[in-house]
Amino acid sequence: MNTERPAVMRNRMDRFIDAIEWVAAIFVGIVAVDIFLSVLLRYFFSTSIPDSYNFGQLLLGILIFWGIAATSYRGGHITVDLVWANVGPRRQRVIDVFATLVLLFVVTVQTYTLLDKVVATRNDNILTVDLHLPTWPFFAIAWAGDVSAVLLIAIRTWRLIFHPEDLHAGGPQAKAVE
Amino acid sequence: MSPDAVAITGFIVLFALMLLRVPVGMAMGLVGVSGFAYLVGSGPALKLVGQTSMRTVTDYTFGVIPMFLLMGAFVTASGMSRELFRAANTFVGHRRGGLGIATIVACAGFAAISGSSVATAATFSTVAYPEMRRYKYPQSFATGVIAAGGTLGAMFPPSTVLAVYGIITEQDIGKLFIAGILPGILAVSMYIATVSIIGWLRPQFLPAGEPAGMAERLAAIRDIWAPLALFVFVIGGLYGGLFTPTEAGGMGAGGAFLIGVLRGRLTLPEIRASLLQATRTAAAVFTVLIGALLFGYFLTITQTPQKVTEFLTGLGVGSYGVLALIMLMYLVLGCLMDAMAMIILTVPIIFPVIKTLGFDPIWFGVIIVMTVELGLIHPPVGMNVFVIKSVIKDVNFATIFKGVLPFIITDLVRLIILIAFPIIALYLPTRM
Repeated sequence: MNTERPAVMRNRMDRFIDAIEWVAAIFVGIVAVDIFLSVLLRYFFSTSIPDSYNFGQLLLGILIFWGIAATSYRGGHITVDLVWANVGPRRQRVIDVFATLVLLFVVTVQTYTLLDKVVATRNDNILTVDLHLPTWPFFAIAWAGDVSAVLLIAIRTWRLIFHPEDLHAGGPQAKAVE
Repeated sequence: MSPDAVAITGFIVLFALMLLRVPVGMAMGLVGVSGFAYLVGSGPALKLVGQTSMRTVTDYTFGVIPMFLLMGAFVTASGMSRELFRAANTFVGHRRGGLGIATIVACAGFAAISGSSVATAATFSTVAYPEMRRYKYPQSFATGVIAAGGTLGAMFPPSTVLAVYGIITEQDIGKLFIAGILPGILAVSMYIATVSIIGWLRPQFLPAGEPAGMAERLAAIRDIWAPLALFVFVIGGLYGGLFTPTEAGGMGAGGAFLIGVLRGRLTLPEIRASLLQATRTAAAVFTVLIGALLFGYFLTITQTPQKVTEFLTGLGVGSYGVLALIMLMYLVLGCLMDAMAMIILTVPIIFPVIKTLGFDPIWFGVIIVMTVELGLIHPPVGMNVFVIKSVIKDVNFATIFKGVLPFIITDLVRLIILIAFPIIALYLPTRM
């Protein structure tokens, strides 16, 4: 029983993390569809999707913050691995814990300051150009992505310290970007 | 502490954090905001964090990055790399070193639609390597040519690294993309020449493959209509002013998706994997962009770029002497960090120097991207080498680095040519 319970929790946690990543991935697809259709409509039908430009911007914000949440958990950020790659597993773990704690601090501060931005946008009643929709709910959804980033980084820190076997830490080859 | 002392302390802390594997963007953001808070006050510094983060992620221009990443992910999942390699192989595979030349040409074609050096290297490790080994090409050459061919991803449009350079320096991303075409073609030609020279110097080293008949060649050409059409559609639209760079990315992603689905190459699991891949990479790049912008405020308040400019221009070594020093710095930095991190960290400081010296910003973008791409194949970091090693298990790092060496020499010669003849990079953008 003792080993089953953490396993169940782990599975639930992994599904939660997958779901967060999926939110971001779906928004990438939506932004692409928005741009694709806008261009086609402009050239073939001389018309446009109302607020296409604003939607593109706001959805981009959502996908990036939700994406950062998943990327932070998976250890997929761009890092300098020179020292890490040349020390033993114990020191690698110490480095990883330190780096993740710094990450947790920075993202927590970011989340706190972003809330200000969401509240200011709501108070200023900033609207989209064509449909005059309030933009703050989009900002709030993006902010929720940053909140989930804080949660996931906290979980990552916990797992790094107490259950490192649950994390498939990314080496240099796992996060190729350019 | 004086602003100068704060700036120096900031850089020391930044490098320490990066060496301790703190994500580059987060380290830049932390140091930038802390330094700003120390010099100006914590209230304005904290305000910067929220405003800069939200402004960056909702900037439509920056949408160019996830869109081209998505296009690249669809293209990779569609398996267009095999068709490109097969087509190139039917024309040159029967020559000595022909499989190496085919790899270079196919890498260039794939780079032109995927925009990623690392994706190109990873893909051709599975596509071209087994074929080269079948014809007894040495491991060092086979992996070296793939690592070098992979770097073409940063030159040919749509290059993610060039897009990021354009964002940081506020240069026209469309012009930067187009500027990469002729230097990219020069790179392909020089890599082909390198392979031919190796084959000529050591005839037994790179045996010739089997010749292909005319029917096989025609069939291979028919197969590559998809990558060709996609490239012409996206880059033609960009060059012709039909799309903005972000729109070109969206159209490219849409086009790659439609081609993949209609040809039965993109199934639901592959579409899912492509969306996830684009999301992960975009999130990683945007994190660095946010950090770089926050660090930029710190640089501004400490006047670091102006001071670096004064220092370098006061050395009395002339504009090309300063340029040589900058290139040297990038080659050294390439031993420590990857291309994207280098560009984002250093360009805000170096760019004012380049403008003061009177160099063209578009040309410098091409030069700088080419220089940092060298870091993808030279030791000890060499991201392409890591990627190839992760795909091809039975090869060691020393073997790959040995195979890459002739191509590093070629790259250095190409760099000198491009510095001597800026028109190679600037000819096409000036006609837009």
